[in-house]
Amino acid sequence: MDKGIVLFAHNNRQIDYAKMSILTAKLANKNLKVPVSLITDPSTVSWMKESKTFSIAAEVFHKIIITERPEDNNMRNFGDGKSYSAAPFSNGNRFNVWDLTPYKRTLLIDTDFLILSDNLNKYWDVDSDLLISPRYNDIIGEDRTGYLDTHISETGLEMYWATTVMFTKNEYTKTFFDLVDHVKQKYKMFSDVYRFNPIIYRNDIAFSIAKHIMNGYQQIDEYDLPDVFSVTDKDVLYEVENNTLKFLINYKDSNIAASVKDKDVHVMNKFSIIRNYDKLMELAE
Amino acid sequence: MQEEFKKALDFSNYRQTFAIQRKTLKEKIDAKLTYGYNGGIFKIDRELLNFVEMLIYKDRSENVVILDVNENPILVENLVDFREEIFDRYFSATFEYHEEYQKIKKARSVEKLLEV
Repeated sequence: MDKGIVLFAHNNRQIDYAKMSILTAKLANKNLKVPVSLITDPSTVSWMKESKTFSIAAEVFHKIIITERPEDNNMRNFGDGKSYSAAPFSNGNRFNVWDLTPYKRTLLIDTDFLILSDNLNKYWDVDSDLLISPRYNDIIGEDRTGYLDTHISETGLEMYWATTVMFTKNEYTKTFFDLVDHVKQKYKMFSDVYRFNPIIYRNDIAFSIAKHIMNGYQQIDEYDLPDVFSVTDKDVLYEVENNTLKFLINYKDSNIAASVKDKDVHVMNKFSIIRNYDKLMELAE
Repeated sequence: MQEEFKKALDFSNYRQTFAIQRKTLKEKIDAKLTYGYNGGIFKIDRELLNFVEMLIYKDRSENVVILDVNENPILVENLVDFREEIFDRYFSATFEYHEEYQKIKKARSVEKLLEV
């Protein structure tokens, strides 16, 4: 296949990424009209079969590719408005996408990135082997954007966001993804060199460093994907109605209402995606 | 949660919701004014529209090289077709912008703003 989208889903005790991936795939398929494949692991597939989502997934996905679950010891807090819960976070195998993708040109997206427009379609033919989103774009704006949302550390590089990545399968991108793997393997060493906090492995940081190295240790003008328009996990997706996503945005300890329609949005509060799952699925029909 | 949402709909939050809705709308229109062509990316703005129109006026309408957003040279084989495309996109995006912006301006409550 020439082009398509790839999603990764490795469930943990708190979040059913596989269920989210079905929604994300349906939205992407509806708005971009390209096939979507899923990369997952045997235990997630078992859960999909048990929870009866596997048959739906088999219809929605072009291919379901089963690989080993990454052995990450990443624990992180998953926010749901004002509350948090800790859970393991298995996302350390993104570099495998180069080997596993069935497409020549791949758009890799996170399962919490909801494609509600055809905006990303204009990037398939851009003359660049690797496109990554270079900026975080908070729904509120710069007021709520911290330095560590835009840089890998207080003294480090500008951060790329691995939420959306598009690449052509060739030698150049093979080297890039091998480099991402290398950064992951030597994460502590790179944290000393690039002065970032290594406690949690972040794909965004590994991708940013790999890009920096591939660009000859400098920042250059190049094509990028659009900013990652985001709603944080302190915010809540409150309601989905008339093709509109209504949010409660946490700002300076109070709540502001906002809505999003026909615009791709990174909804970091995964619990609120699951709570509104049925309505969101209707949006994807 | 319902109580918090009700509170957020209070008119005292109107300006903040208005600002978010306006920002989101502006970004949506900016995306529509971004045009991928022949491997390059163009921002459809007044400068590009005028430049293309001027080239056609000067009888330079075939095999023209135009610099894109990254200053990369992009070959446009048929500039008249290119002009039609960017003018169509410009008018449809700006018309939508105007229409949606009027709706935002006329929405006199947070609840109405959310429906735009």
